[in-house]
Amino acid sequence: MASNFANLVLILSIFFSFLSNFFYFKNKLNFSIKFFNISSILSIFSFFLLLYFFSISEFSIAAVYENSHSLKPFFYKIAGTWGNHEGSLLLFVIIIALFGSLFTFCSNKKDIELNALVIFFQNNIFLIFLLFLVTTSNPFDLIIPRPNEGLGLNPILQDPLLIIHPPMLYLGYVGFSLTLSLVLAALVKKRLNSEWAKKVWPWVMISWVFLTVGIGLGSIWAYYELGWGGYWFWDPVENASLMPWLAATALIHTLLVLKSKNEMKNWTALLSILTFSFSLLGTFLVRSGVLNSVHAFANDPERGVFILVIIFLITFTSLAIQILYSENTKKFNQSFFSKESFININNLFLLFFLFVILLGTLYPIILSIFNETVSIGPVYYNTLLAPFVFIFLITMSVGPLLKWSQNINVKSFKLLLPVSFISIISSILIVYLSVTHNLIFFLGILGSLILIFTIIYETLFEKKYLKTYFSARLITHLGVGVLFLSIFLNAFLSKSEDFEIKLGESKKVENVTFKYMNQKVAKLNNYVELETTFELIDDRYNLVLNPSVRRYLQPNQVTSETSIKSKLLSDYYIAINFPEKNTTSLGVRYHFNFLIYGIWIGIVLMVIGGLVSANKKKY
Amino acid sequence: MNKKIKNRIYFFLVSLITFLVIGKFIFESIQKNTIYFFSPTELFESNNLPKGLIRVGGMVKKNSLKKINNSYEFIITDYNKEISVSYIGIKPNLFTEGQGAVVEGQLKTRTTLTASKILAKHDENYMPKEVADALKKSGDWKKKYGK
Repeated sequence: MASNFANLVLILSIFFSFLSNFFYFKNKLNFSIKFFNISSILSIFSFFLLLYFFSISEFSIAAVYENSHSLKPFFYKIAGTWGNHEGSLLLFVIIIALFGSLFTFCSNKKDIELNALVIFFQNNIFLIFLLFLVTTSNPFDLIIPRPNEGLGLNPILQDPLLIIHPPMLYLGYVGFSLTLSLVLAALVKKRLNSEWAKKVWPWVMISWVFLTVGIGLGSIWAYYELGWGGYWFWDPVENASLMPWLAATALIHTLLVLKSKNEMKNWTALLSILTFSFSLLGTFLVRSGVLNSVHAFANDPERGVFILVIIFLITFTSLAIQILYSENTKKFNQSFFSKESFININNLFLLFFLFVILLGTLYPIILSIFNETVSIGPVYYNTLLAPFVFIFLITMSVGPLLKWSQNINVKSFKLLLPVSFISIISSILIVYLSVTHNLIFFLGILGSLILIFTIIYETLFEKKYLKTYFSARLITHLGVGVLFLSIFLNAFLSKSEDFEIKLGESKKVENVTFKYMNQKVAKLNNYVELETTFELIDDRYNLVLNPSVRRYLQPNQVTSETSIKSKLLSDYYIAINFPEKNTTSLGVRYHFNFLIYGIWIGIVLMVIGGLVSANKKKY
Repeated sequence: MNKKIKNRIYFFLVSLITFLVIGKFIFESIQKNTIYFFSPTELFESNNLPKGLIRVGGMVKKNSLKKINNSYEFIITDYNKEISVSYIGIKPNLFTEGQGAVVEGQLKTRTTLTASKILAKHDENYMPKEVADALKKSGDWKKKYGK
């Protein structure tokens, strides 16, 4: 019954989506948009049905049976909706619909020609994924007879952050589908110009903000919940989300040029296509089971092939449209010291980062086709990316001071002198105090500080920057500065140590003394928990930490509950392993993490800046 | 040759050289940081022993796990050939005898390895993909798992 009703809703949604296409070709543009909205509302309704089935544990639905359990807390029942392949794909599909419908409500109604074409493209992206959903991974598949109990959700996924991390990431990924539709429509109608750039700006910005939040939450999840001891591991799954982010960041900057100078049209179109293609590639890598990870739900190669075909279809159709419809742009003159030239350099760097990450992520996958199993260590990314970050940060500091297409403007460079002076002095001081004599470290700190001080100087001494027009850029770039400063300090000043310790024993590791004070075993609903008490003493602090570890029974799995004590600049972080039977010693993973807060603050600043920018009424 | 074409050729050459330099840089880095995976049988059959970091996967042989002070010794097998592993550090959760495991480290001889890392697994039913493939290659998969 439940299954039939939900399936009917999905089929109606497909029907109206086809109807929307039909009316577009009949040139009844208003009808086309209306039917898209009906289809969109139906699909969103079906998602709420699935939410409802998860919340009441309706085990006659296959997806609910396989990923839920009646004893689970209510919140995790809800989160279970997207904690599986079928549900997460439905979420993916309805976000395409949601962005399309929001666009029809927010856009200027008079411009129906362009809007209808945007919706036409959006509708077809939506339709492709909806058909994929219904044919290969229908979330409403029926189980007869109805099972009495579900199989349970992977305990690693039972975390409050999981409730928001995937939807945020998806809102980001999928938000770029609308950017793509807008670009394709503008190409076909020959409307890729400044006016269009203003129209697309808030949609790109909002998707970028969601993607940033999603990546940030994933990072926080790895640090606080998974007990991995850090915030970034160059894991293919993380790379998959960083690639569209880099492409989108490049896109945002070319949009600025398009908006102000009506230039870089082809570049903008190409980056929009790339951004959505990388979003799809990210989804494919993460979900298809090509990679082994917490995120891989589907281990069904057939689905993977389908997603791959869809990616190629969408990417190549888009590229074909760009080639067929792109206008010849006239060559424009620009001096090297102009805003757009620095945006170009910035773009090349972002694409270089993207390319390095793409290669590192795909190389093992490609070799695995030839039966060779390899993995790429984090050293690859660090050695290739870190040296270039310095130049990247310098162009970020200087670029915004320049004027559009003008020759060098001496006045704006005045501030660079004191800023560089302060930055060099502080960097030398930091290197000296931290006793870390490394050129990359020095350059990383120097670049970040120059960026941070330039922004502080601008805000303090240039009155015009206090207007909201500039504040978005200032906040976001300040965020990037803080982020990189923290990344470099964290990378070079953190320490970690693994060791074993017995109950009651004291151990000295480097300058920290650990004492394993106490332990307690608690039996709960579906897991056994070992709670422990540790005392940490170093030159400055005397801390008590309470890490624990859980062994789940259904399914059998162990998760670490980390214990973290944050001090002014650093985190003391302990995770423990489940002890062996008949031994008293315990494996301890200790991390001393420097300035991890700075990383979160940097991300938060970038998000705030993005929101301010998305919300700007006047450009 | 007019100036325009000359400029274009310069532009083309400069970009080509830049791309080649960057490409070489990336390629070298990727080669240096690639960690190859071997099964014990592959190691036994290889002519040149791999230098540097490698990964070896298979099943942890029953009754082979020993603890000496703070180091562990155990045997990884693909039911055809075996590798003795020594490892200093803490044992990850769910690393037990009779289960699949992947270790990362350097070879000392053809059959002994000093591991710097044991890669953790997600749950008891989960078999690292590399291990499954290694077992399939050694022909023992069918006997044990019937697929």
